[in-house]
Amino acid sequence: MSTLGRLAGIALFCLTASPPASSGASFRAPRTADGRPDLTGIWQALGTAYWDLEGHAAQAGAVVALGAAGAVPGGLGVVQGGEIPYQPWAAAKKKENAKNWLTADPEIKCFLPGVPRATYMPFPFQIVQNPKHILLSYEFASATRIVYMDKPDFESPVDTWMGHSRGHWEGETLVIDVNSFNDQTWFDRAGNFHSDALHVVERYTAISPDALRYEATVEDAKVFTRPWKISLPLYRRLDEHMQLLEFKCLEFVEELMYGHLRRNPNK
Amino acid sequence: MSYRFPTFAMGWALAAVMTLTGPVYGQTPKPVAKTKGAGQQQAVALTPWGKPDLRGIWDFATITPMERPSELAGKEVLSEQEATEFERQTLERRNPDRRDGGAEADVGRAYNQFWWDYGTKVIASKRTSLVIDPPNGKAPPLTPNGKKRAEARAEIMRRPAAGPEDRNLAERCILGFNAGPPMAPGAYNNNVQLFQTPDSVIILNEMVNDARFVPLDGRPHLPPNIRQWRGDSRGHWEGNTLVVDTTNFRDETNFRGASRNLHVIERFTRADSETLLYEFTIDDPATWTAPWKAAFPMRRTAGPIYEYACHEGNYGMFNILAGARAQDKEGR
Amino acid sequence: MRIYFLIAVVCGMLLASASPVSAHHAFAAEFDANKPIKLQGAVTKVEWINPHAWIHIDVKKPDGKIEKWMIEGGTPNTLFRRGFSKTSLLPGTIIVVEGYQSKDGSLRANGRDLTFPDGRKLFMGSSGTGAPRDGRDPTEPKQ
Repeated sequence: MSTLGRLAGIALFCLTASPPASSGASFRAPRTADGRPDLTGIWQALGTAYWDLEGHAAQAGAVVALGAAGAVPGGLGVVQGGEIPYQPWAAAKKKENAKNWLTADPEIKCFLPGVPRATYMPFPFQIVQNPKHILLSYEFASATRIVYMDKPDFESPVDTWMGHSRGHWEGETLVIDVNSFNDQTWFDRAGNFHSDALHVVERYTAISPDALRYEATVEDAKVFTRPWKISLPLYRRLDEHMQLLEFKCLEFVEELMYGHLRRNPNK
Repeated sequence: MSYRFPTFAMGWALAAVMTLTGPVYGQTPKPVAKTKGAGQQQAVALTPWGKPDLRGIWDFATITPMERPSELAGKEVLSEQEATEFERQTLERRNPDRRDGGAEADVGRAYNQFWWDYGTKVIASKRTSLVIDPPNGKAPPLTPNGKKRAEARAEIMRRPAAGPEDRNLAERCILGFNAGPPMAPGAYNNNVQLFQTPDSVIILNEMVNDARFVPLDGRPHLPPNIRQWRGDSRGHWEGNTLVVDTTNFRDETNFRGASRNLHVIERFTRADSETLLYEFTIDDPATWTAPWKAAFPMRRTAGPIYEYACHEGNYGMFNILAGARAQDKEGR
Repeated sequence: MRIYFLIAVVCGMLLASASPVSAHHAFAAEFDANKPIKLQGAVTKVEWINPHAWIHIDVKKPDGKIEKWMIEGGTPNTLFRRGFSKTSLLPGTIIVVEGYQSKDGSLRANGRDLTFPDGRKLFMGSSGTGAPRDGRDPTEPKQ
């Protein structure tokens, strides 16, 4: 073969080898019909970010009768840099939240978990990809989010529990910009919280056929001194015929919330 | 279950709540539909993997009632003039901004017209009911057991609530009142968004943000000991129609009085770029003496679907129970 | 003859079937038909929430005291789709509320009729900010 032919062959090879666009990603996910990385499936986080985003040792639980079943396992922490950078007033508020966990944590009342908490709750969630919309469907409290992929200027008319999500692709990574939050959710059971100025940018990247890397940058100028970031893996639920089951959960908290208004309160 | 409103308020309230919309093409929607009225034939849009494309946001508000009123027995379809007149009178009669009829009726009207979205039109076929089978446009008679359960529930709803379980699933925020399955037009937020992949369809009803997963891979239903408020759905294609089969309901789901053995079969057929035909079959021999079917079209809408965080904002449950305790005290 | 038939048709469909009105939550369970109220006050906060929006108003009594009332509305989602938003009813706005007080006597009422002091109803038409006009709002001018 001539030199020109070899050069042409090398050029052809280089053009068709499609190297990954995002830095460091060496896994190329299969594609959807519209040519995007296919993240469709049921995923779940492991670890104990849902107890406490920051690194922590194991500790006793809040309910003595639950014994070991109610105790908090240790966690390596998912916050880059280790600590969440609270403003002084907010650091005190966080401590107070932690002390009042059982009565103050919205999760206890089965309220919608917000973002990013919904991602690392100890429950599976489902990603369903269509070209203009991506649906995130969480088993916990049947929470759902619609991610608008083609409406970068669509602003929400109202503040919500799960925020308003607009997404786009950066190479192999699904980037979701979330704003228009109310101030009602927490980040975990350790009392980490935010205001209605919360703004979250999520990044979902496939790192293997059955795992994603999930990153979320959190900013809230009313509460933190600077933006901060979490990172954790998400694992595909490989159970046969995997599906989310119902965890409406509000029927489990009606006694807690309304029991005092019963005609004959339960003893 | 039913409320004992005065007849006038009942008529208004029922008209306000029961809505239906869209054309019904005979008994069964045809798989490849023609655009009604436009006189053109349109091919059904397909997904890249070759199935009819059901994706999008669909609105199923209408003022056609579920069941044909007894006064219209035998009259299957309204004429153009009758339909227009019916729409005009319905909107006028059920307008919640009317302030006549006494205090009870007034409380029942709840709030201004601008909060409601039950639709302004009958379904395009001008059929007088959504029910298409039995042919008389009414659900079949209840079984004795079904009747007993319905009366017991109605009695509980009439009395001051002893606890939250006395109230219906919509007031408890467990299920939306128009989401089912099956879906049935209601007073507002008659919106559903469909998502589709090669091996599944997800039905997202606005109320209560419920994403119903319908796998198409032939897997069996959940085992019979796993019951869910919204049941468990499985789907498959029959030609151009998506058929969704739902079982595994709980006793308390109670769609129009149904038992836990409720079996719902829904059929979704894309008629044209703006219309999704929806049909459901109810099969529950413990409750109805025969299966029955209803059908109505859904209209493409810009939406969007907004969050419906119901439990999070449910002051109403506190108020209903506090009101019931006040009634207890006053001996009412 | 035709007119009578039309009326029969319309009345027939309006006095429609035995289907349950379980759909909408019974306001009769929450509010007392024997306790009608009419209030005028300044909006302090609007909770644009489901299943019902709540408008908080400060009502000045003749003796100068302020009563804080919560007024129940419908789902805000229908308003959002017509172009309204959380900035459509701001604190400080004076509104008039006719309704019925809650059965337990607390300062809550259903917003049976919400108007501005000049009698115009709140949230009529669309806000004009690009709300979808699909012909379903009878108060909107036809395009």
